[in-house]
Amino acid sequence: MSLLDIRSLAVSFDTAAGRIQALAGVSFSLERGEVLALLGESGSGKSVTAAAIMDLVPSPPGAVDRGAILFDGVDLLTLPPRQRRDLCGARIALIFQDALASLNPVYSVGWQIGEMFRIHQNKSGPEIGAAVIDLLEAVGIPDAARRAKQYPHQFSGGMRQRIMIAMAVALSPDIIIADEPTTALDVTIQAQIVDLLATVRQRSGAGMIFITHDLGVVAEIADRVAVMYAGRIVETASVFELFATPQHPYSQGLLASQPRVDVETPDLVPIPGSAPNPAALPSGCAFRTRCPRAQDLCAEVEPLLAAAGPGRQVACHFPGAFA
Amino acid sequence: MNQPLLKVENLSKHFGDAGAPVRAVDGVSFEIARGETLGLVGESGCGKTSLVRTLLRLNAPTSGTAELDGADIAHARGKDLRDMRRKMQVVFQDPYQSLNPRMRVDRLIAEPWALHPDVLPRAQWPAEVARLLVAVGLRPEHALRYPGEFSGGQRQRLGIARALALNPALLVCDEPVSALDVSVQAQVINLLATLRRERNLAMLFVAHDLAVVRHVSDRVLVMYLGKIIESGPTKAIFDRASHPYTQALLSAVPTPDPTQRGKRKRIVLQGDLPSPSNPPSGCRFRTRCWKATEMCAREEPALTARGPDPALLTACHYAEPQGTN
Repeated sequence: MSLLDIRSLAVSFDTAAGRIQALAGVSFSLERGEVLALLGESGSGKSVTAAAIMDLVPSPPGAVDRGAILFDGVDLLTLPPRQRRDLCGARIALIFQDALASLNPVYSVGWQIGEMFRIHQNKSGPEIGAAVIDLLEAVGIPDAARRAKQYPHQFSGGMRQRIMIAMAVALSPDIIIADEPTTALDVTIQAQIVDLLATVRQRSGAGMIFITHDLGVVAEIADRVAVMYAGRIVETASVFELFATPQHPYSQGLLASQPRVDVETPDLVPIPGSAPNPAALPSGCAFRTRCPRAQDLCAEVEPLLAAAGPGRQVACHFPGAFA
Repeated sequence: MNQPLLKVENLSKHFGDAGAPVRAVDGVSFEIARGETLGLVGESGCGKTSLVRTLLRLNAPTSGTAELDGADIAHARGKDLRDMRRKMQVVFQDPYQSLNPRMRVDRLIAEPWALHPDVLPRAQWPAEVARLLVAVGLRPEHALRYPGEFSGGQRQRLGIARALALNPALLVCDEPVSALDVSVQAQVINLLATLRRERNLAMLFVAHDLAVVRHVSDRVLVMYLGKIIESGPTKAIFDRASHPYTQALLSAVPTPDPTQRGKRKRIVLQGDLPSPSNPPSGCRFRTRCWKATEMCAREEPALTARGPDPALLTACHYAEPQGTN
């Protein structure tokens, strides 16, 4: 049994432009100790997936329409709210992109990390204090005893993200979901945080869902990748297979659009056009209007995610290497 | 003809009280030739934006000069100032905030001609708007729409069209693609490359994404805490960077190639950026540098050629390319 098994998850939102389908039947699984990257551009549904798992879809205007989220075999969507919150809070941790907005400015960071223990465990005050300092040291914050008493604004962006990570691993969760955790950071700090996330994950043996649009970060940290486009998963593969032999034209387009820092890149080949309006998706395959391989069939029938070799799935009528 | 288009000499911009000013830009010198793209890289707080704002005359420099085509940017007045603005245009980072949502596209793009009435007679505006829209990969009928009807990449194209309206010699691009998705980012990079070829445009390309900078630039400047610490031809900077900070910066960029995972040597910098109001003595990077000695605290290293390549200038007493083998 997979640690997390998401089946045909559909989420929609009411907007001024009508009801839009943010997730249109997303299925994937996460094994213990695995890092799965959800890779996609803005509006592809990466963050909505995380929100749906954590029960953070604002309702209204949003709603989980159908599907199942099986965590250790239990469907989270059928649990009573209170039970679901206790379970998610203790065993699934979420790290947001914007650490400053996620921390409360009027409480010390030590107090906020300690809150995890106060809510979910029966620890005494001194025990909590010691645990908080251990956590801050584990995420590389020097002078932890003094820093625990300080407030979020007294930390740099990278340090705040370390505090978020300390909070996330406080209860040794089974799953860590990191939603664009390095996007707001400078490149040298980003490298430190990616390393730290890899280290804390290894130490805890948790499974991790790493949400990002950055191909470089995916190549550094992921075991497996699910590529998302317009609320669907269009390809899943091991990280090595995806970068070596992408099968979906969108995955191929993404890789061809990315300049590299370590070698001189020949001409970039962008994907033409821009992401479709979610309120007016093309019929059939949502990518067909930008796809070099699109044919009549693509407008008529939506391609489903189908097996394409061991551990590999592609949602395309004409998958395969570039002709 | 050999005169550089932009010549910056010993330019400084300090903020705050004169006793302990924030030295955002501190004695920066460089040139941009006609048709050349100069990349400017550095992390948040290094002074990139302050430098750009000073060049655009949105800030007055504290000292030093910047000359565009021989005209002093900080002191130009009247007609000289207008001429200068015509020659230098900007593309901003955020295509959502830099376009007035209530202005129709034809007015947005024609606005520079309203401000510079001698450039183009009003009767020719519609034709020229259509021509510019096509040049940036949009369609003539887009002239009748509003910015809200465009995607992020298309808005950035509108921003570029407007910047080109006065046919400038220098385009200052301040993080022009960092708000865009990867697939769309490549479209805008390719567009800038084409326009540059067709119009012999010079560009100052400011970005924190080193891969993008490598792709578009002829030469690159690396800034740290208000100073240029290394400069040179793009290939030299990316293949033979000799400043420890440049090396650390390059080593931190993740490679989009999982087979390289763990194989590259990563230099992890200790500590945070020091405060620009109280920078370290001598070399400003020494507090985070693994090569630092007592000399680095005493003597500020000059930006000068330190290896066989006379075009690669490095401000470090212990400059040497990494992994020379």
